Amino acid sequence: MNSFRAASRIALRTKPTRALLAPRRNYAEAAGPADKIRLSLTLPHQSIYKASDVIQVNIPAESGDMGILANHVPSIEQLRPGVIDIIEEGAGSKQFFLSGGFAVVQPDSQLSINAVEAFPLEDFSPEAVRAQLAEAQRIASGSGSEQDIAEAKVEIEVLETLQAALK
Amino acid sequence: MLSRAARPALQRVAAASIRPAQSNNYATLREIEGRLKSIKNIEKITNTMKIVASTKLARAQRAMSESRTYGQTSNTVFDKAETKPQEGGKTLIIASSSDKGLCGGIHSQITKAVRRKLLETPDADLVILGEKCKAQLGRSSAKNIVMNFANVGKDIPTFAEAQTIADQIFQLEKDYDNIEIIYNNFKSAISYEPGSAYAFSEEAIKNSANFTAFEIEDEQLANLREYALANTIFWALSEGHACEISARRNAMDNASKNAGDMINRFQILFNRTRQAVITGELVEIITGAAASEDS
Repeated sequence: MNSFRAASRIALRTKPTRALLAPRRNYAEAAGPADKIRLSLTLPHQSIYKASDVIQVNIPAESGDMGILANHVPSIEQLRPGVIDIIEEGAGSKQFFLSGGFAVVQPDSQLSINAVEAFPLEDFSPEAVRAQLAEAQRIASGSGSEQDIAEAKVEIEVLETLQAALK
Repeated sequence: MLSRAARPALQRVAAASIRPAQSNNYATLREIEGRLKSIKNIEKITNTMKIVASTKLARAQRAMSESRTYGQTSNTVFDKAETKPQEGGKTLIIASSSDKGLCGGIHSQITKAVRRKLLETPDADLVILGEKCKAQLGRSSAKNIVMNFANVGKDIPTFAEAQTIADQIFQLEKDYDNIEIIYNNFKSAISYEPGSAYAFSEEAIKNSANFTAFEIEDEQLANLREYALANTIFWALSEGHACEISARRNAMDNASKNAGDMINRFQILFNRTRQAVITGELVEIITGAAASEDS
């Protein structure tokens, strides 16, 4: 799992998280509402989407942010911690913060996303994020064990992404 | 004269023969009472365990169905790519049981399934989750065991547990070509069968029939594999946990029923014996009275 974290760190450095919030071209409108992608978004303890039809899903993949529509080329993407955007028909879009995982686009317009944790973006409290970020930074710059520092660094990375997403 | 002289003697004999029997009766009566009490206590315990298991069962089953969706979602990619276990090569068998007993034969089911697998691949390595299977497999195939985990399945399994186990397995640094997880498959509330779930090696994933259809960066494959193993272990743990709780509920239900039967039987025996003792006493009193009237 170390390479998992290291990779996500690099990806973070190279891609400012602001890009997440930049206005994006909405492919969904271009494609029309006819085609849909069947999304399963599952956590170990909860399934948020269970094979429901949605129009578009924007995921924070390691190789860059991607928008996935129906009939996407089959691919396996590792996710970094970040915001996943789900555009449903009629219901507008829903945003979740994912702690990383894998998204697999299956050949028959199915999208399976496995993540360890995910919460709706509006459920996060900016104050708590700020407080935890300060705490993690303190540990990272302190003189704890190597493992503590490494863990704090991962924490900082996630919290910074989260903070940027909340703004 | 003779009959008169003979009667007390006879009576004495009769009394002598009754008395030990009577004291015997008293003893068995007390014995029966004691056993009855202990069975009643056992029934109370098994009944409580049954109720505890039933309350846990709903939660365990919910967790299981979530983890099943999770595991299935995670494995869809291997289904679509038609990944198959590789022929030959080094095999690792993960037996997923738990620490606690009193739940019927579900642990020995796993043990039997593992033994069957070991007959096919005698040099496979074994990782055992839970003390029960460790004790059972330690006797027959101790040389195969490379690692075991205690404290598994005490409560509803968490993903962190599964992740730790997967991490430890990768730290063994043996490149297993096939990893097979043997766990109890929850069919219904009364039927469980040992099932196998596979975690594939990178080679196996690469060699699968339809894998070329997917776009993936090579360095992510290793991560995918580790993640998939953790997912599968999590799935197996949750399913095994639900089976265990359900099996415990059934086992305790049966135990309570059996205890109830025994209580009935002993209650009848107790009543009969008491009646016999009372009758005996009455006979004694009446005979005594008749004798003193005679004299």
